[in-house]
Amino acid sequence: MTRFDAIVIGAGVNGLVAAALLARRGKKVCLIEAARHAGGMAGLRPGEGPALAHLVHNLSPAVRRDLGLGRDWPFALTPLATVALAEDGRHVVVDGPNAKLADGTAHPFAAAHAALTERLTRYGALLRNMAETAPPGGGMSGIAMMRQGLRFARTGLSLRAMGKPEMRRFLQVLLSNAYDLILDEMSDGPLAGLWTADAVRGAALGPRSPGTVFSLIYRMGHGGIVSRPEGGMEAVIAALEEAGRKAGCTLRTDTRVARILTEGDRVTGVATEAGEILSAQVVLSSAAPLTTARLTGLDHFDIEATRRLRNLRARGTVAKVNLKLARAPALPGVDLASARMVFAPSAEYVETAFNPSKYGEMSEAPVIEAVMPDPGAASPWLSLLVQYAPADLDGGWTAAARDRLAQIATRTLARALPDLPGLVTSAEVMTPDQIGAATGGPGGHWHQAELTFDQMLTLRPGNGMGHYAFGPSGLYLCGAATHPGGDVMGLSGRNAALRALEDRA
Amino acid sequence: MSLNATYDVIVAGAGHNGLTAAAYLARAGRKVLVVEKNDWIGGAAVSRSLHPGWTYSNCSYVCSLLRREIVRDLDLPKYGLQVIPYEGGATFTRDGDYFAYYSDHHALHREMARHSRRDADAYQRYAQAVMRQCRFIRPFLLRDAPDPASLRPRDLGEMAYLVKKAHGLGPRELGETLRFWTMSIGDFLDEHFENDLIKAHLAGSGIIGTGLGVYSPGTAYVLLHHYMGDIDGGIGAWGFARGGMGAISAAIGADFEAHGGTILKGAGVEKFLTKDGRVTGVALEDGKVFKAPVVASNMDVKRTFLTHVDAGDLPPEFTRAVERFKIRGSSAKLNIALDRMPSFPAAPAHASFLRGDLHVSQSLSELERAYDDWKAGRVSAKPYIDMLIPSQIDPTMAPTGAHMMTVFVQYAPYDLAQGSTRSGVNWDDAARRQLADCVLDQMSVACPDIRERIVHMEVRCPAEIEREVGLTEGNIFQGELTFDQLFFNRPVPGWSQYDSPIKGLYLCGSSAHPGGGVMGAPGANAARAILRADGVRMKGYAA
Amino acid sequence: MSVMTDPKVGLIPGPVHDRLAALSRSQAWYGWAGYVAPSHLDSMEFEYFALRNQASLFDVSPMHKYRITGPGALAMLNRMVTRDVAKLRAGRVGYTLWCDEEGMVIDDGTLFRLGEDDWRLCCQEPMLDWLMEAAWGFDAKVTDESHDIAGLSLQGPCAFAILEAAGLDVGHLKPFDLAEIEPGLTVSRTGFTGDLGYELWTAWDAAPALWDRLWEAGRHHGLRAIGYDALNLARIEAGFLTAGVDFQPVLSVERLHRGLTPFELNLGHMVHFDKGHFNGRRALIRARNTPRSLLMRLDVEGFKPAPGALIYHRKKREIGHLSSGIWSPTAKCNIALAHVRMPYAAQRPANLWAEIYTLEEGRWATRMVRLTPVKGPFFAPPRAKATPPARL
Repeated sequence: MTRFDAIVIGAGVNGLVAAALLARRGKKVCLIEAARHAGGMAGLRPGEGPALAHLVHNLSPAVRRDLGLGRDWPFALTPLATVALAEDGRHVVVDGPNAKLADGTAHPFAAAHAALTERLTRYGALLRNMAETAPPGGGMSGIAMMRQGLRFARTGLSLRAMGKPEMRRFLQVLLSNAYDLILDEMSDGPLAGLWTADAVRGAALGPRSPGTVFSLIYRMGHGGIVSRPEGGMEAVIAALEEAGRKAGCTLRTDTRVARILTEGDRVTGVATEAGEILSAQVVLSSAAPLTTARLTGLDHFDIEATRRLRNLRARGTVAKVNLKLARAPALPGVDLASARMVFAPSAEYVETAFNPSKYGEMSEAPVIEAVMPDPGAASPWLSLLVQYAPADLDGGWTAAARDRLAQIATRTLARALPDLPGLVTSAEVMTPDQIGAATGGPGGHWHQAELTFDQMLTLRPGNGMGHYAFGPSGLYLCGAATHPGGDVMGLSGRNAALRALEDRA
Repeated sequence: MSLNATYDVIVAGAGHNGLTAAAYLARAGRKVLVVEKNDWIGGAAVSRSLHPGWTYSNCSYVCSLLRREIVRDLDLPKYGLQVIPYEGGATFTRDGDYFAYYSDHHALHREMARHSRRDADAYQRYAQAVMRQCRFIRPFLLRDAPDPASLRPRDLGEMAYLVKKAHGLGPRELGETLRFWTMSIGDFLDEHFENDLIKAHLAGSGIIGTGLGVYSPGTAYVLLHHYMGDIDGGIGAWGFARGGMGAISAAIGADFEAHGGTILKGAGVEKFLTKDGRVTGVALEDGKVFKAPVVASNMDVKRTFLTHVDAGDLPPEFTRAVERFKIRGSSAKLNIALDRMPSFPAAPAHASFLRGDLHVSQSLSELERAYDDWKAGRVSAKPYIDMLIPSQIDPTMAPTGAHMMTVFVQYAPYDLAQGSTRSGVNWDDAARRQLADCVLDQMSVACPDIRERIVHMEVRCPAEIEREVGLTEGNIFQGELTFDQLFFNRPVPGWSQYDSPIKGLYLCGSSAHPGGGVMGAPGANAARAILRADGVRMKGYAA
Repeated sequence: MSVMTDPKVGLIPGPVHDRLAALSRSQAWYGWAGYVAPSHLDSMEFEYFALRNQASLFDVSPMHKYRITGPGALAMLNRMVTRDVAKLRAGRVGYTLWCDEEGMVIDDGTLFRLGEDDWRLCCQEPMLDWLMEAAWGFDAKVTDESHDIAGLSLQGPCAFAILEAAGLDVGHLKPFDLAEIEPGLTVSRTGFTGDLGYELWTAWDAAPALWDRLWEAGRHHGLRAIGYDALNLARIEAGFLTAGVDFQPVLSVERLHRGLTPFELNLGHMVHFDKGHFNGRRALIRARNTPRSLLMRLDVEGFKPAPGALIYHRKKREIGHLSSGIWSPTAKCNIALAHVRMPYAAQRPANLWAEIYTLEEGRWATRMVRLTPVKGPFFAPPRAKATPPARL
């Protein structure tokens, strides 16, 4: 039997962050990963090509700080412009607050775009403040409560500092839907399509669904700049892994947890599938909540709790398609090597793409985000996120269905990049069911649970479970199903680790 | 009728809310004039005789939300208002069965168990959750929505009331409340029930009148909006107003006139007159001008401020906010005179549920697809229909032996797509015929002989409702009931307390908190705000 | 058109309704879980005395009955209920409670261990949804037997003699024992009266024949069919609780904060914290020492039963109410179950008063009567527990 202060289950981004943070605070930590490598969903690769997560936009500076990584991440981040692809060739190039047409002429709604970016970035900073702390309540210690009170007071003050009209507008916009918000400011087209596509990326929602502005604002927490980590997602994971290793954290890959052990409503450690017992007073699990509950034994949880976990909605809607190209495609006036392409020619298009997914069908005309992680290569990969491809496809994700998805993706992109089909030499497809199977993430959903108001803050992952502590004393959830959610951010893991430390203090 | 050109208050629009505001103000001693563009009063709460012998509640058609405080304050029974509860409802299946909803607890349990034993037991949990939300929300209907950005004592007081009520729920129920208010009716039902038909039956209230689908977040609240009323204390019960919904408007109007108020019909407002940022009266379409220091508009917020006020009189950001306010037409209606009771072959003899609300939607996904049609500008191929035959209970609605049927249809877009255009203009006769055909096909699932029973039929598409009643896009709530347009966000942030940037100009219709339905609350709340501005406390239960 | 009543609406007959209808003189019926059930058949007093002096027969078929089977049934039930049912052997019946996650009582009932992995739960509230939620993830199957299994409750000093006369040998059954006495007929030595008594369980369709068999056997023992009113009197004497009267089943109340913990119902001994986790355990550990009120048994001064009366301390401060109250013809006292707020309840105060209203031939009056706390049941005859049981 091996003794640790804390065991962290799952070496995805959140597990890595939690383990490293605990280790840095002097705890003897063991991080257990079922797969052969750390990385979880972010690092998951369909084959030879790029990993599922190909860009970052919300990596938390708070995480970097707490892991002692200094002022900069130990890997290069290349900020990318975004090209909102248009079928008529009038592509829109968006670089932060600036939007112009690919031919260099002004975009008619450039001013509206800049104002929106500015406003949502400001709102995003407010939300970020909330994301970097546990949700309110939950029986924390006096000092922690004071600290949190201060944080919320600060949020309240910054809200007030915006002035009455802006504060009121914030409380309205926060609750509205992306479709209306964007189309109130500009007429429909690729730019509106881009905004709405970004609002619903990874979600089982369409832009008309109320609440989608919230996820959009979340995305804008750090200005909405998307960056390509040089060296791919592997570099991000390696950095987090290294932070843990430096702090003395033990990483055990290829190790499956068979059970989380308890004694009299207390966690005592884990048993691995190989039969080894690792003991610890604290166990943090970045596995999905229901998976964690099953590992612990459902009889350790209240009936209402298991009901809530079962009702947690997590229907993955995004498939990963990697296209191997004979050479990089070209768009006049656009440097595709340092650009993210989004095919969402209008907000209406995005909403229409969403429709079939509600009935277990894939979009015939999906929304696509495409980047080249390694544009310098002779025959580069084009890394695509194709939405909507629902986890629960009618008839199942057969090989034929996956082939069809690759064809649909290629055909759809070709509407703006006509020479693309001729460049594709091979394709890899990874659908949400596969993502789920490979990582244990329910429905292959990026956030382990849909980010909607009813699954947010204290309600995430379930009412009464919003404070990381989970069932028996000493057990915590630290995955994306907890506040504030996933997206290669690391905050769930960080907040959970801080909470566990606080409880032991 | 002698008309004096100067009044204390002018109310523009004799909808039930306008009349309610007017009646409270008249009771407070104000000299009030109500101007109404139509030759009749009632707005969307009317009884019309469009075919000799039959009376149609041709807009709103059933009653529950009308606040009991208002009914008592305005003595409405004295003016003939009777609301008779009806007895349940049913959803018919395409294979000749049905799911019946009974108000009798045991009959309902047995009927649910016929479709799913588990659902029959789960219904208690569902009903408990919904009723708790009803109890929570009801006290807020006749209160002002506080402005969260304001530090005025009254706003802080209302905010404190909200916090106190929320705190009183306890942490678990507060969590359940937050969930309920933000989730979709589809998800909420999926969490409680397994049977498609039961879910489809219960889901209807979550989408009636809205531009949302059963799986759109926020539709659980819309359901609540239809459940939070009561009849004689029976929360969630619905009924018929004897003589049609016009009986409600008529009673409120009668109370108003009994307290010295004047109603001028056939008098559409051309413009709200202002001077130095203050309202001074109204100019009518026929050129007449009436003066008053206070004007309350029963029109929706868009119509009020974008059509009848000079843009120059409003701060541009207010105008923008009003432009952003979403009022989407999504409903249509058929009002049908029947020669006799249609046959419902699936229903057993003496079925009480035929006297209730009848539907034919089979599943949540069928309802969701109906919404997808609407988004694309089409009438739903299989619309949700809410049909009732009030003449079974109310002998005043049709000749003896004959019947009157009201059929509410969701979804029908205002901006109908035709070719590449989407516009209300596309609602031509052919489109209306197509709508009627599609709805009659749906109805045939329940009553196959419906077409043979028709003596007269009125088809009301959204464009028509807009034209006649004055509701923008024909939206029955004067604005979507989404959380960005409710409570302190209704109609626009910072102006949730009935007043407006033009001093003395108030909103008293459903665009204001707490929103639509034949509730009367916005009218009563507006009257309270108007009196408060004069330093007067309104009297009555709605105070 | 004339309005005909809907045949689907209203109460439906239970399995022995024909027998009851033939016996009913008072035509006093009430609804029990959707079934027609007798309040009394001729007079409550005579029915009550038959129960305490001879024997009584009452149809308990409308009770909700659920079968829980499978290798995971024990684990599933132990996670659901507050007592340790692992200690309940096959062939035994246990009274138990179950709580929600906040430790508030959902319902109480009797749990029959029919076999190692075979259980039946009898309770007042519909519970299929909850049981299926509780069984999720466990290797256990839940079946609603409410309309498949009928139950007849034979209670009173002559109950054993009647069963003997009916050819049913139950002499070996100790209280809370159960046995399949004949194929398809299970008898348990249980009841809701605090007296010697048995409950007989059989298929719904077999109930009329069983009724006739008992009726015939009871001819010389003064067997009487009774209604709920007599039973209710007996159960208050025995100190048993009725859901919806003495506590509000927390899953069916609309208003908030109406739930009570087992401790507040004086049923703390039914909560076994040492058995591992069960629903509401964490909340109950917190609530254990901080009850908001306590259920008390009270002797009410005078002769006027006082259900619903408010309780005052020193005739001034309102501190609770009586949930059940009735004149006990056997104990010859005016008894009541009451909820008394803390800290008054813990002090076992002497100065407790109930405000009761009396209507005597057209004249309403109010008076304050003294309440005296009573320990234990108001009536608990030794015959209820003796094995082998007495014959009269």
